[in-house]
Amino acid sequence: MKKIVLETKGLIKRFGSVTSLNNINIQVAEGEWVSIMGPSGSGKTTMLNILSCLDTLTEGQYILDGVDTSMLTEKEQVVVRREKIGLIFQQFHLVPYLTALENVMLAQYYHSIIDKNDAKEALEHVGLGHRINHLPSQLSGGEQQRVCIARALINQPAIILADEPTGNLDEANEEIILNHFKGLHKEGRTIILVTHNPELAEFSDRVIRLHHGRVEEDVRLQG
Amino acid sequence: MAGDKKLKVSKTKMFLRIIFKSLKVRRNRVFITFFSIMIGAAIITALSSVYFDISTKMSRELRAYGANFFIGPSSSSGSKAIDLPVIEDAIKMVPPGKLIGASPYIYGVVRLDLGNAVMAGVDFAGLRRLSPYWQVEGKWIVVDFDDDSCMIGKTLAKNMELKVGDSVNVVRTETGFQKTLQIKGIAETGQAEDEQIFVNLTLAGKILGLEGKANHAMLSIVSEGMDIDGLASQIQSKFQGIDAKPIRKVSYSEGRILEKIKGMMALVALIILTVTTLCVMTTLIAVVSERTREIGLMKAIGADNKSIVMQFLSETLMIGLAGVAAGLIAGFILAQVLGQAVFGSSISFRIIVLPLTLIPSIAASLLAAAIPVRMAVNVVPAQVLKEE
Repeated sequence: MKKIVLETKGLIKRFGSVTSLNNINIQVAEGEWVSIMGPSGSGKTTMLNILSCLDTLTEGQYILDGVDTSMLTEKEQVVVRREKIGLIFQQFHLVPYLTALENVMLAQYYHSIIDKNDAKEALEHVGLGHRINHLPSQLSGGEQQRVCIARALINQPAIILADEPTGNLDEANEEIILNHFKGLHKEGRTIILVTHNPELAEFSDRVIRLHHGRVEEDVRLQG
Repeated sequence: MAGDKKLKVSKTKMFLRIIFKSLKVRRNRVFITFFSIMIGAAIITALSSVYFDISTKMSRELRAYGANFFIGPSSSSGSKAIDLPVIEDAIKMVPPGKLIGASPYIYGVVRLDLGNAVMAGVDFAGLRRLSPYWQVEGKWIVVDFDDDSCMIGKTLAKNMELKVGDSVNVVRTETGFQKTLQIKGIAETGQAEDEQIFVNLTLAGKILGLEGKANHAMLSIVSEGMDIDGLASQIQSKFQGIDAKPIRKVSYSEGRILEKIKGMMALVALIILTVTTLCVMTTLIAVVSERTREIGLMKAIGADNKSIVMQFLSETLMIGLAGVAAGLIAGFILAQVLGQAVFGSSISFRIIVLPLTLIPSIAASLLAAAIPVRMAVNVVPAQVLKEE
């Protein structure tokens, strides 16, 4: 049986009187690729924010790689984010004045030791070995997203959390990114992906459908 | 993922790279901040440089407005004149470098061609230093042994219809002394001297029958940094029958003018510093507002609040140090311009000006950064990263 990397127990998130997530109980095993789907307002982003320790839950428990994050202070949450999570955003979010290489090194800088060769290799791994000294403004959307993937992977996180990673990409780049996710999955990485895109979700092991803040469906797909 | 060869980059190097690139990409904002700090630092440097020189320079400047020390016979002595050597010895008691000018005076009434006038016997060299504000038409008498020339006040010249180069007969009825003198200069003083005739002390003594005597002496002393009351006491205790005193009104006014000018300079510096702080703060707030997404991203990938604070304060500190360095140079040049314009001389460089400029300027910059840094720390990554 595979190790459980991520687990939520009775997770509730309220914003004032509005309950955004209600009694979420999920488990994600090591190496599993889980897609979270659902209509707008279903709580996908809130869920991802909590899972990435960018937001706190109101009730329940969220255990990540053996750490109960619901008990952590803001400072400790930063450490968890830095140590255990690799984040990929829909809008890429790169520091505009740093090169592709420096953007990857930035994650190392906040994490521990900065190794230029490791950062270069991470970029080569996503096919950007020839673009390391380019600024984000000199890269296409797909290339920027690949820099984000390299940055998310550089510190060997326990889990990769991606929010609509192909949402801002054209079809060709969407396929490139999809292939990278397939590759990551093959390498045994744990991936949680929030997406509207069924084509992207169909390659995952499981699809969790949220509706009005509840898990409506948790389906294991046939590989 | 690990490479065969490690190529470590130090955290300090990476930190500096982030800082410099971040500053480089915001050249306009950085320039505004740099320029604000530079202007503030330059004015503080200029004012503080002048501040330390002003006491000496202003004292000398104010000494252009006449005598501020009197030596004469004491009322208890019952005499109206003192021996010249006594006065000369008393004048010698003024510490070296502090005496701007001094002249003994002896007065008497003489008859000129068209009427009577007061004659003053003076030491012309001393009088000229004592009264540099006199407007003289013609020339000052420059040698004390010139027994054939005189200077006269403007009003007297007008009343007696005399002009430079004319000869005037001077008669002292009591002594029967009579001499024809040539007018070398006509002085406009704005005071009683405008109605007097001036000759050298020796000649005046002969004319008035008071050789080797003087009624009193007037001195112009740099009062800054010395105990002028103490000097008066020393002179009085050394010479019997002598009254020595500062001319209170002049000395006191000098002190008050200096204090007021210094106070005003401190106030101007404070206002400039406040304006600089506000300007830097406004610019930094705009910078943080522009960078909320970048800050949110840094936090999302693992930056803690300390890293964010360090980054913003370091950026401010770097601009601040560059601004202060440029401000010190510009300020010293400005001080020279002020020195030449106001005092006609250069302003000395003093090492104390460095900390006096550096500390308040950097403190103002960091204070200005307080609110923007707080804004940066309060950025919620989940909010800003989701914004389109």
